Amino acid sequence: MKLEGTYIINASKEEVWKAMNDPAILQQAIPGCESLEKISDTQFTAVIKAKIGPVKASFTGEVNLENLNPPHSYTLTGEGKGGLAGFATGSADVSLNEHNDGTELIYLVDAQVGGKIAQIGSRLVGGAAKKLSDKFFSRFAAVINGEEENPE
Amino acid sequence: MPSISLTLNGRSVSGEVETKTLLVDYIRENQKLTGTHVGCDTSQCGSCVVHVDGKSVKSCTMLAVQVDGSEVTTIEGLATGEELHPMQEAFRQNHGLQCGFCTPGMVMSAVDLVAGNPDISETEIREGLEGNICRCTGYHNIVKSVQAGAKAMGG
Amino acid sequence: MPDTGTITSGGIGDAVQRKEDFRFLTGRGTYTDDINRMGQTYAVFVRSPHAHAKIRSVDTSAASQASGVVSILTGADMVADEVGSLICGWNVVDRHGEGHKAPPHPPLAHDTVKHVGDQVAVVIAETLSEAQAAAELVEVDYEVLAANVDTGSALSGPEIHPEAPSNLCYDWILGEEADVDKALANSAHVTELDIINNRLVPNPMEPRAAIGEYDMATGEYTCFSTSQNPHVLRLILCAFVLGIPETKLKVIAPDVGGGFGSKIFCYAEETTCVWASKKIGRPVKWTSTRSEAFLTDAHGRDHVSHVKLGLDANGKFTALKVETIANMGAYLSTFASSVPTYLYATLLAGQYTTPVIFCNTKAVFTNTVAVDAYRGAGRPEATFVVERIVETAARELGVDPAELRRKNFIQPDQFPYDTPVALTYDTGNYEASLDKAMGMIDYAGFPARRAKSEANGKKRGLGISAYIEACGIAPSAVVGSLGAGVGLWESAQVRFNATGSVSVFTGSHSHGQGHETAFAQLAATKLGIPFENVEVVHGDTSKVPMGMGTYGSRSLAVGGSAIDRACDKIIEKGKKVAAHLLEAAVEDIEFADGNFTVAGTDKSKAMEEIVFAAYVPHDYPEGVEPGMDETAFYDPGNFTYPAGTHIAEVEIDEATGVTEIVDWVAVDDFGNVINPMIVEGQVHGGIAQGVGQALLEGTVYDKDSGQLVTGSYMDYCMPRADDLPSFRVDMTTTACTHNPLGVKGCGEAGAIAAPAALINAITDATGAVTVEMPATPERVWRALQENN
Ligand code: FES
Ligand code: FES
Repeated sequence: MKLEGTYIINASKEEVWKAMNDPAILQQAIPGCESLEKISDTQFTAVIKAKIGPVKASFTGEVNLENLNPPHSYTLTGEGKGGLAGFATGSADVSLNEHNDGTELIYLVDAQVGGKIAQIGSRLVGGAAKKLSDKFFSRFAAVINGEEENPE
Repeated sequence: MPSISLTLNGRSVSGEVETKTLLVDYIRENQKLTGTHVGCDTSQCGSCVVHVDGKSVKSCTMLAVQVDGSEVTTIEGLATGEELHPMQEAFRQNHGLQCGFCTPGMVMSAVDLVAGNPDISETEIREGLEGNICRCTGYHNIVKSVQAGAKAMGG
Repeated sequence: MPDTGTITSGGIGDAVQRKEDFRFLTGRGTYTDDINRMGQTYAVFVRSPHAHAKIRSVDTSAASQASGVVSILTGADMVADEVGSLICGWNVVDRHGEGHKAPPHPPLAHDTVKHVGDQVAVVIAETLSEAQAAAELVEVDYEVLAANVDTGSALSGPEIHPEAPSNLCYDWILGEEADVDKALANSAHVTELDIINNRLVPNPMEPRAAIGEYDMATGEYTCFSTSQNPHVLRLILCAFVLGIPETKLKVIAPDVGGGFGSKIFCYAEETTCVWASKKIGRPVKWTSTRSEAFLTDAHGRDHVSHVKLGLDANGKFTALKVETIANMGAYLSTFASSVPTYLYATLLAGQYTTPVIFCNTKAVFTNTVAVDAYRGAGRPEATFVVERIVETAARELGVDPAELRRKNFIQPDQFPYDTPVALTYDTGNYEASLDKAMGMIDYAGFPARRAKSEANGKKRGLGISAYIEACGIAPSAVVGSLGAGVGLWESAQVRFNATGSVSVFTGSHSHGQGHETAFAQLAATKLGIPFENVEVVHGDTSKVPMGMGTYGSRSLAVGGSAIDRACDKIIEKGKKVAAHLLEAAVEDIEFADGNFTVAGTDKSKAMEEIVFAAYVPHDYPEGVEPGMDETAFYDPGNFTYPAGTHIAEVEIDEATGVTEIVDWVAVDDFGNVINPMIVEGQVHGGIAQGVGQALLEGTVYDKDSGQLVTGSYMDYCMPRADDLPSFRVDMTTTACTHNPLGVKGCGEAGAIAAPAALINAITDATGAVTVEMPATPERVWRALQENN
């Protein structure tokens, strides 16, 4: 499953880049993120709660930052295990461009799910993933812009 | 653990039950009434239909604690002794069952569906039983049974 | 027909109500999950979320500490106990004379997992919820491998078993390819078609379940199971998997909530429960969830074929060539290899006189759950091939499809008819069923109905399917020479009790077919006793002598014939007793309507009196054993060949592509009929499954990840009451010539006939050459756009 999207963030490219590498900000932005710990500059472990259709699961997994090209782009890869609910793996190519209103963020996600989520929720995965991505980037923008964000 | 009391097939029962216990598990495991069946885990098949206060309900979509104070009827409570309920009799007469697995849910759904509608049409029956899957009969004889049962119940 | 027949209630041919219905209607049936044993534990399987992966490690340490956990067992434990591989009982020999590839199928995987849902470990706990919770804690480390799930390209995909290079299980042929190619080259017209037979999930409403139990005192195991053939399950578990004598394993299949083939097979779960029950010293129960059923029940169909039909200038078929790739799934299931070969290619003559036929089947392994027999097993695929290509040829040539069929039918005076694909049809009258069906649907009036639909903005189509099937697979010597690992007879024991009631023990299991009724009708009629006095016992290996189970519409033709034979033995013995009591010669005793009579006199004794004398033999013939209890084994001389014509008429909404079945007529020839009510019910159910295949049911594995994405009733579309019409069912009869009852079998006909009828109707309405199954509104709508 592939997803893409574009966001305009009212901040400079450098500011956005910094936020993209800041676990605290990422944690706030990732929907359902219960913890995000930095292991090294390019490695995090995360616990994320997600609900796709009728399947609810807590995923534990690793997030890696690859292809670092500061402050222009990186690739975020992750793998999460959700126990009997299954697993999710994916990568996101994120790139930043200068923009009149600040910075343009372009993302391209390629994700796969397996196990129960695929079996029962696959019809819903596309929609759910799109929603989660949208939520992530809008929150991310909100956090950088110092706006109030209302976590669920 | 909360405790609940209800009327089950005309008998009052009460006892403790875990909050997460589904009504169908309460009926099958706690009350040992195994006529109510489980055919799926996504609330799609209707094998588990019982009556709660006279209305048909998929008992896999309800918690046991929700029926506290209610009247619950399962397939075991439909006949009077050896005398079948008119809907059960109609299923027997019209060969409305084969393996019998969907049958309890089908009969319970049908009884509620036709209540007050002795002249229910084939289309109404087919649409009304949309939530009950039968893999054996192709529904042909179920529709006939329900029509006959509706007549016999007299609305 | 048997020679007795004055009983008007409960006799052969009566639509008598079923004995089993009272318990089912009052919720008193006993299905496997309704059974609970003292001290029982609950098993939950840890299953692979990946389609293909190496197991690096299985860590059960956290799980085994969880509350209520009794034991956690893995593939390594099975290896240590030398538990055998699950087997395939039919060895198909390929075109080079080599046996098929049957790679190991461990009940618990230990080095690799080969499909989503493959079992890796079993968690056994005091309660089901504790077992579920602990299963969450089992950590399996996988190295994910590339998945290969697509039938058509499996041969060139990632390799699944080292034992099966290129994922080829076998490359099998029937017929002479050179002859067929030559005949095609000389044909006036050749019709070609690519045909996909979509993969299906059988979905009996009762999910599989098993309880394993071990009695330390006697060393005896018991397995309660949702099996269609308990004796075969016992045989496989004992002889091949667990290595225990058959005397030490009792298999009980109580009420079973439908099977449709999927409950024939020996699965990992019941094997594991039986094995584990001894290890932990307590009964182990497992009940499948529907989600697990989608992942682990053997699926059906899944063929990709290329087909060529040759015709001469007069429209006579000259040759048929069929090349099929058949998906076996990840492992070879119990009878999987026989389905796309002996149960498929042998039926490609259909009802026609096609002189030469060639079939090549390549069976392939994929990272999907095993594919095996599902209602019809091979024969629906054959009928779909034949009836689609015949219909397409008629349209290409611009001739009436009914007439093209008629022209090529095997004629009634040609029976017994040897087909070029190894079968001998004993009897039939194909034109009779076609004519009757055409009359019922008012074939001649179709153009007018079509015009009327057009006026309402709807497309109307009509589709014929003139099917044949071969039931009651036999005789044992023949199937043995073709690779079957078992004999295909059936046993029956008929026991009179001293007071005149009769117990009939049959090896043929009932899971919806109503054997308790039909078999009782059979015995009651034959023995001339009241229907109410007959009790049918099945499903328990400790009660029934031996049996091969229920599949391939074999119960009545084979199991029923065994009962008939056992009854014959009873009557023979009764004659001896009667001769003694009536002071006559045995040759002079005639039996009719439950009475033994001295020919030409009114001296007679009722069956009950003879039975009583046999059990209280105070005045009894010398040399005759007391008692009235006879066993017979029946091994049929041939298959039976039910056949008929189904015609479907559909209306399609041009705007939405939604297909509505507006009429359905079915005319079947099942030979003699014991209970017409049960037979019609079987036809309805079969059609519904065929309609499901054609319109609704599609099984989709994601090509990249190998995930089953149609794994619930939200995504796998089961036929519901409002998807189907009422059916108009009728019959023609030519009695089977080689079994004592003249019966043929009716369980699969509908599922065999229906898909071709429907797709022929939909292609007729849309003008498309092909619409793939399931013909969803989207596919039909696209077909309409492309052809109008
Ligand atoms: S069990 Fe299927 S709807 Fe309740
Ligand atoms: S009778 Fe078997 S599922 Fe309905």
